[in-house]
Amino acid sequence: MEKGDPVHKKLDKNMKKIKDIFKNCDDVVYRQFKVGINQEFSLAIIYVDGLVNSDAISDFALRPLLETARKVEPTPLTIRDNLYSLITEGNISISEVKEAETINEVVDAVLVGETALLIDGYEKVAILSTRGWEKRGIDEPETETVIRGPRDGFTETLRTNTVLIRRRIKDPRLKVKMVEIGERSKTDVAVLYIEDIVNEKLLSEVKERLERIKIDAIIESSVLEELIEDNCISPFPQMENTERPDSVAASLLEGRVALIVDNTPFVLVLPATLGTFMQSSEDYYTRWAIASVARIIRYIAGFVAVLAPGLYIATTAFNPELLPTGLAFYVASTRINVPFPAVVEAFAMELTIEFLREAGTRISGPIGTTIGIVGGLIIGQAAVEAGIVSPLMIIVVALTTVASFTLPSYEFAAGLRFYRFIIMILAAILGIYGVMLGLIVMGTHLVKLNSFGIPFTSPFSGLGFKTGDLKDVLVRVPVSKSKHRPDFTFPKDKKRIK
Amino acid sequence: MEEHKISNGQLKALIITANIGVGILSLPSSIADIMNNAGWIAIVLGGLATLPFVYIMNKLAEMYRGRIFYEYGKEVVGNILFKIFNVVYLTYFLVFLAFVVRIFGEVIEAYLLQNTPIEVIILTMLLATSYIGRSDIKSISRMAFLILYIIAISTIIFVILSLPTLDLTNLFPAFKFDIKDIPKGVSTVFFSYVGFEIILIALAYVEDSKSTLKFSFLGIFYTILIYLVTFFITLSQFGIHELKKQIWPSISIMREIELPGFFIENLDGIMMASWVLVVFATMGPLMYASGVVLSNLFNTRKHNFFVLPLVTIVMIIALIPESLTQVYSTMDMIVRYLAIFAIIIAPTILFIVSLLKRRKRV
Repeated sequence: MEKGDPVHKKLDKNMKKIKDIFKNCDDVVYRQFKVGINQEFSLAIIYVDGLVNSDAISDFALRPLLETARKVEPTPLTIRDNLYSLITEGNISISEVKEAETINEVVDAVLVGETALLIDGYEKVAILSTRGWEKRGIDEPETETVIRGPRDGFTETLRTNTVLIRRRIKDPRLKVKMVEIGERSKTDVAVLYIEDIVNEKLLSEVKERLERIKIDAIIESSVLEELIEDNCISPFPQMENTERPDSVAASLLEGRVALIVDNTPFVLVLPATLGTFMQSSEDYYTRWAIASVARIIRYIAGFVAVLAPGLYIATTAFNPELLPTGLAFYVASTRINVPFPAVVEAFAMELTIEFLREAGTRISGPIGTTIGIVGGLIIGQAAVEAGIVSPLMIIVVALTTVASFTLPSYEFAAGLRFYRFIIMILAAILGIYGVMLGLIVMGTHLVKLNSFGIPFTSPFSGLGFKTGDLKDVLVRVPVSKSKHRPDFTFPKDKKRIK
Repeated sequence: MEEHKISNGQLKALIITANIGVGILSLPSSIADIMNNAGWIAIVLGGLATLPFVYIMNKLAEMYRGRIFYEYGKEVVGNILFKIFNVVYLTYFLVFLAFVVRIFGEVIEAYLLQNTPIEVIILTMLLATSYIGRSDIKSISRMAFLILYIIAISTIIFVILSLPTLDLTNLFPAFKFDIKDIPKGVSTVFFSYVGFEIILIALAYVEDSKSTLKFSFLGIFYTILIYLVTFFITLSQFGIHELKKQIWPSISIMREIELPGFFIENLDGIMMASWVLVVFATMGPLMYASGVVLSNLFNTRKHNFFVLPLVTIVMIIALIPESLTQVYSTMDMIVRYLAIFAIIIAPTILFIVSLLKRRKRV
């Protein structure tokens, strides 16, 4: 970053420069005042209204300067030589005071919520740490609710979020490395990792990718995600995002890295694999047997979400011989009055569901529920009664939708949904063979995918098979039985339970 | 992040999936034709016959660690001679691919898509395969590992479902055979084991290079096991005379199996569907290898842009034979001769030459 003009000795010149930079920024507050028994020293403070804790400024900066400083008479010698340190070290009772030597530094500091204290006759500016703005309290995360487990979620303030992690891992080896990204937004990003667990190559890869970013603004963590992921064209996410601090803390203990982006409650966790997208934090808070069954059900749901409509199209239009004879006749009989081919029927219903889903996410709350009921019940019922779609189709589509919502990661389910449509199209052209082709294409895409150099399909595709990552991916074994950290992150410290 | 290599398990999976392809469909009847009930002997012997060449390939990989066959070959036998070798390899891969995809197309047309022209099936399969052919050997081995689950599960289902209707008396006489038939039987079976030559490339990327030989052998052994299971079950189900009449006994057996009161009635379709993946796992490495050979011929760093043009060539070759009989007679013959070169002759030559060179140096 360019250094910019150095701070001038004359206060007025500095003020003019800064005011020039902040032209038309009416949220910037300037206050010039004089200090000393004879009012001979001119000072000024600059801050952005709303970004600072104004009580702190008035109580701990202005009052000592304006009132106390007038009462005590410093010896003339000290004043002349060292007014600056006298003020910063003697009068200001704010915990953190920094120095700035260029105008740009001053401007940057003011924009993040610090207060600049300019003193006439010195070539530096004191920066008082007075950050404080309106923030949301810690709420229960709305997207990832649990029946049992902690109820706190991340907020939009980065500092609150790092505290939530720090409170869970009170270890000096948990590192919180701050990076500033975005030329204009100057978004703070915290890189969290546990020093003696995380693989260094992974960490340096993350840092390198973060340094490579040259963008004007990071509005949300998804922007950062797209900039650093391995394959930005893929419909599948290659990083997890979560609002739950407990889930991030657990991931850090697995040797993964978390990126907390300021202004969003969604924290990125990487690397992610197929297995980690199937894990929900609640799995670890319920009995292991129940959690294991839930995991297996999720995998089945994943297959249903991808395949069900495709298989319906393939079996009704091309390969009814795949069904048991009785069922094949039944399917044919329900479709007798349906005027469309199975493809049109399936696409129409899938589209309806997509409409409902889209409408439901835009309008939340009571109206959203109404839309769900109206859409789900009325449209489905009416469509069947009108004979436009077969009742079996409604079941298939409803099942698919419900199945896709059982997956813990919404983004991953969305990736599967993308392939569901591809498989439906292929099934409409080539029947069951088309379904298999779709699976081949999806499988190929998945095995080619990497998350920070780690194969996305591990541990299913071989890596980590020896050490048994599967027992924490396919099922969840009791805590006392899972003695090792998962292998796919190549942790330095492999043992969880010594 | 570090470059992930191929694990030993993936190497084993790669060999099994590359070996098992369209051969498994016709193997039981073609071997029963020659050896009758003693066909299993040929299956075992044919599998064991591949081991010396697996050994040679492993030794070569050990001598030129971290490099692929198609690249170090020119240092061994000279640039021009090895260019010719590479051309033969390319022809082998392309004809083999055409052979596989043609039979695949015929089977799919016969069992699943009666009204779809075979050209469409062949083209779509080639295009789907080219997607993985354009990637790297690591992705292919991961895919192989995933498909191995499907092979394992299908084999287990296949065995369990056929158990109630098995007629074990059909297996006997299991030891009655003419010693003169053995060479013919073994040579027939041997070509059901081709495909493993992908290790000429894969061995260069293996993570633990010390135990590759063990896992390569294991890959072959599992292949033998799966072929044996297929042979015994088809034989006991059909009996020797009916088995000989079948073209693809491994599929038609699924039509025979019907479990009363069972939800799934027509298993052949489900088996066919998983067989699509098995064939894909055979074709993927071939597609990839032909791209790699081409990139070595033209000294390019990447292989992926060669793959799509190859699709059209394979498609043309695949459509040359007029009938299935021609595929199984002429095309099969060509593949065999080329395979003898690709698996037996070329690696052996390279092995002997590099051994001699080493000795001279010492």
